[in-house]
Amino acid sequence: MSNKQKFNKAFMTAFDIEESILGSDLKYESIQEWDSIGHMQLIAELEDSFEISMEMDDIIDFSSYEKGKEILVKYNIEF
Amino acid sequence: MPSLIDKPRLMEKLKSFHDYVRKNNGQIGTKQRGIDLNFNNACNLTCKYCFTNSPVGDHAKETLDLDMVASIADQADELGIFEFDLQGGELLLRPDLLFQVLEAIQPERFYLYLTTNGYFLDKEMAQRLADAKVGRVSVSIDSFDEKTHDDIRGRKDSWRRAMEGLKNVQEVGIDPYLNITVGHYNADSEDINMLCQYSDDNNYTTLLNVAVPSGMWLKIDKMKEVIVDENDKKKLIALRKKHKNILRNLWNPFDKNYEGVLGCNTVNRMYITPLGDVLVCPYVHIKIGNVYEQSLKEIRDYGFSIKHFSEYSSLCLAGEKTEFIQKYMSIDGQSIFNPVIAKEIFSEEDYVDGKNQTPIGVIV
Repeated sequence: MSNKQKFNKAFMTAFDIEESILGSDLKYESIQEWDSIGHMQLIAELEDSFEISMEMDDIIDFSSYEKGKEILVKYNIEF
Repeated sequence: MPSLIDKPRLMEKLKSFHDYVRKNNGQIGTKQRGIDLNFNNACNLTCKYCFTNSPVGDHAKETLDLDMVASIADQADELGIFEFDLQGGELLLRPDLLFQVLEAIQPERFYLYLTTNGYFLDKEMAQRLADAKVGRVSVSIDSFDEKTHDDIRGRKDSWRRAMEGLKNVQEVGIDPYLNITVGHYNADSEDINMLCQYSDDNNYTTLLNVAVPSGMWLKIDKMKEVIVDENDKKKLIALRKKHKNILRNLWNPFDKNYEGVLGCNTVNRMYITPLGDVLVCPYVHIKIGNVYEQSLKEIRDYGFSIKHFSEYSSLCLAGEKTEFIQKYMSIDGQSIFNPVIAKEIFSEEDYVDGKNQTPIGVIV
């Protein structure tokens, strides 16, 4: 599975949404599923999938689908 | 829950809780979660089933002093507690005191919420609460029928004000929670279905509490009428699956299959009375300490040394575990202001490792 596929799968699993929802419009609280509880689940999915442990500042800054990709570059995850 | 972006300390604690539960097979274990703080028991209503005995004016004048509230909040933060539920009585009855308490707690560190009957929850009050960084307001609704609710609450216009209060809260960006109490007497009713549907349709969260035979309901002959039976529990599970916006402290909020059970939250959420007594939960009137005499950590450690409160229970001890209720919750006169003392009712076999671990020299 490519990094992008893993990334997308994390969102789809955490929020129980279709792939069509993913994209630049997807932001924290832009959908009902991406609330604070959903945010914790997303982070957990990403950490498991990429075998990383994210810093708290990055978890706080992870405010959108696109921003998330930028943050993961810090963890040597390229898209 | 409000945006965590503005509350980094809350985010940190919530993540810690989430990761713990995930690693602990979806169970709450001995991870601290919340404080339920009743800092004053005065109330404007006379609800038939009140668990704090507010309708009879029990200790209505006493308040927890502000320095102690601040200390409790600091200690709670250190213990990783992320939820802070302010309860009464009715706290909107004395808003000046309430806002002083909110300031003392420093709400940016917590998911801070208020449980209210909604009678005074007009637009202006909702805005004041939002400005004070209250994250959620839970409004208790007893029925979808106005007259039934008003009869239970003992005051006309209670239902209308409560329903309006939920809308006012939502409009100012605070999480609106519609609190319902479900017992054997109403579990299978169309009323509960309508309340859950109404909450869902309006994008509220429904907080489900099971009815417990304590406070004004403390009568052993009422138990069968009050306590949910196996069929009632199946109904609750079905409601959870259907609506997906229903929470219960017993349930795992992170489970996307809407099946996971965290376990009973006794001691994970401690209840503090206006006298500073610490009970294992709002509904189990067993005292494990007093904040004027011990630290929260000491009280917590003692609480978890008791097997009933540290071992996993998929049932709510107060509302579903009949044997526990009959043995420890049915003492004549037992209340939040006259709790049973843990040290006096539990024997060595009730403690983890068979030892009463009350710190030496500490009064419980």
